[in-house]
Amino acid sequence: MAGRLKSALLAAFLTVLVSFGKATPVDAASPDELDAKLKALQEQVDALKKELEKSRQAPAAVAPPAPVPTPAGEAAPAAQPSPTPATAQQPPPPPATSTPWITDFKIGGYGSVRFESSDIDKIGDTFTFRRFVLSGDATIANRIRSVVELEFEHLTELEVEKSAPSEGGLRGFSNSIESSNGSEISLEQAWVEFMLADWLRFRAGMLLVPLGRFNLAHDDNRWDLPRRSLVDRGVPVLPSTAAWSEVGMGFAGDIDGGSWGKFGYQVYVMNGVTLDASLDTVARASGELETEVEVKPQRGTANIDVKKDKAGALRVFWSPSLGNEIGTSVYYGRYTPDFLPSETVWSLSADGKYTFGPFEIEGEYVYTRWNGIKRVAQGFANAVAEQALGSGTTPLDVVVEFDLAGLADSKQGYWLDLRYRFFPALLRGTVLGRPFENPQFVLTTRWEQVWLHNLVKEVDFTGSTVSDIIREDRYVNRATLGFTYRPVPLVAFQLAYERTWTNQGKSLSTVTNFIPAGRSQDTQNAFLFGVAFGF
Amino acid sequence: MLSRRRFLSGATGAWLVLGPAGLAAQEGIFLTAEEASRQLFPDAVAGAPRTLAATPALQQRIRDWLGRPPSLWEESYRIITVTRADTVAGFVVVVEEIGKHRPITFAVGVRPDGKLHDMAVLAYREAYGGEIKDKRFLGQYRDKGLGDVLLPYRDIRNISGATLSVQATGRAARKAIAVLRAAGDLP
Repeated sequence: MAGRLKSALLAAFLTVLVSFGKATPVDAASPDELDAKLKALQEQVDALKKELEKSRQAPAAVAPPAPVPTPAGEAAPAAQPSPTPATAQQPPPPPATSTPWITDFKIGGYGSVRFESSDIDKIGDTFTFRRFVLSGDATIANRIRSVVELEFEHLTELEVEKSAPSEGGLRGFSNSIESSNGSEISLEQAWVEFMLADWLRFRAGMLLVPLGRFNLAHDDNRWDLPRRSLVDRGVPVLPSTAAWSEVGMGFAGDIDGGSWGKFGYQVYVMNGVTLDASLDTVARASGELETEVEVKPQRGTANIDVKKDKAGALRVFWSPSLGNEIGTSVYYGRYTPDFLPSETVWSLSADGKYTFGPFEIEGEYVYTRWNGIKRVAQGFANAVAEQALGSGTTPLDVVVEFDLAGLADSKQGYWLDLRYRFFPALLRGTVLGRPFENPQFVLTTRWEQVWLHNLVKEVDFTGSTVSDIIREDRYVNRATLGFTYRPVPLVAFQLAYERTWTNQGKSLSTVTNFIPAGRSQDTQNAFLFGVAFGF
Repeated sequence: MLSRRRFLSGATGAWLVLGPAGLAAQEGIFLTAEEASRQLFPDAVAGAPRTLAATPALQQRIRDWLGRPPSLWEESYRIITVTRADTVAGFVVVVEEIGKHRPITFAVGVRPDGKLHDMAVLAYREAYGGEIKDKRFLGQYRDKGLGDVLLPYRDIRNISGATLSVQATGRAARKAIAVLRAAGDLP
């Protein structure tokens, strides 16, 4: 059995090598077809010979100008000319070939900034530089390419200082970090792709997890509202917030279904999302230095995985016609590190887009189930007690309060966008229309809902025993109305009004990660003006 | 031990699964101009390609026909005249337009009445947006002419995430017709 499998694999491997070793596509041809091809080639050779003779007899042709990219915004000239037959014969240009990858590397990116006026006191009127993402891509060789995206979120500065000062002959060590609030530097994507076939492209590296359509197309300048969706970002139903990427490997591909349209898939094995601790150090005015531990699901490590198991994700889509697509995706994996009981998280998503004339409907639904939260809490209590023993501290009556943030037995939610694109002809000659090729106005409404079932509010334990897990059911709704002006596809000026609300009398701050509402502030009204740009 | 029969059956299976699609999946460069002319006008005979230098005078005439400058000027244009029963059935013009960062090379089939017959992508070099080479997308341009704007959301269906490449396709189609008019191949 094993021998048979081995021989089949070896045969397949050799065949693939032979197949891909061919430099150009050559289809099997009949003798008649080959004969016709040879005749055509002979005719071309004869024609070229004649042209060569002519060029030898005639004076040298004037050298053509070098290719010069011209700005898209240059003014148009007036009337149509009368055609003149002018055919200077020249040898054919060299065929397009791949340049060395270093010269082929193109830098791009996107960024977004926003002004927000909110009725939440802690926000008020503020500018926010949401993020700046630097991206690059290179075709390393035919069928091999690489893509990278590096994100700077809310970042203004990050300065690290290290020194070893000496005081009274004693050596000390100092390490200080200066940084801006809520900032992040993140490697969003960094992968290489080897295309074996259109339907079989191997990818490896830091990959966007194919769960839902937003995470895969999260660039701010692609969207017409200045805030990301709740399901993907603000009240994440995704196991981690978008843009969510993981280190892994897998395959992607597109399949032409002829009259059935187009099919595609992405399937990856990854380290996967994991419970990880964030340390928050607070220097209080009383002189105390307090460290709080927040344990929450985060994207997996790019280093040695602390879990025993890997996670997997699969998305398949069907596009029956241009502009229309439906997709479904699934994610499954262990989310607990190896010192906690093995528990899994799984997600299901359905998404789609439908275009009819200038209207578009686009949406996404995600359901996520976190298994064994109580066992995880108990395991964490045990781990903390063991650590205390290990450090020599008496474990008795040690009272620890920690935050299992963002965990609920189940979460589900959706967003639904309705868009209408237009641009009045009377504005084409104005400053809004000229000199752009295809300016657009986009009217957008978005309706979103998220339900959190048994959301962990607080876990208390004494010693190594969980004394209480306080949970609650919550919902968050948001309605947004937006108007966007796009002079070019890569730039969007976005105006929006949004209303966000949750259970009456409950704070929005305990269910969202972006509204620092007061204790009983259950509603936010906000006006937003955002600018998103790509290059 | 690997028997000859097992090897052949395994190899045949792998070839059937991976072979044809693998060969068709050249990244970047998909077709030559000559292959494209046979694909665009399958029932016609392609003549020898001729090369038209993009002199400043020709560029000016192209620009006048287009009403605005293209995103790049090529050094020259390859034009293939295709015939059917000794009658000109159309032309295939090779043009380039910039997508986001890099030029996309198109072969554009134009009928003698100045309308688009069909298009093919010869080379695509951008990281995203390669869907523009799909037949169902390029099929939209059939029967369009210089009087059409060929822009997404107006007379062309867009591909989400590939808007710049979609716009480049429309510019390339219009440029090909303008080249033929500027060269005197079309009235």
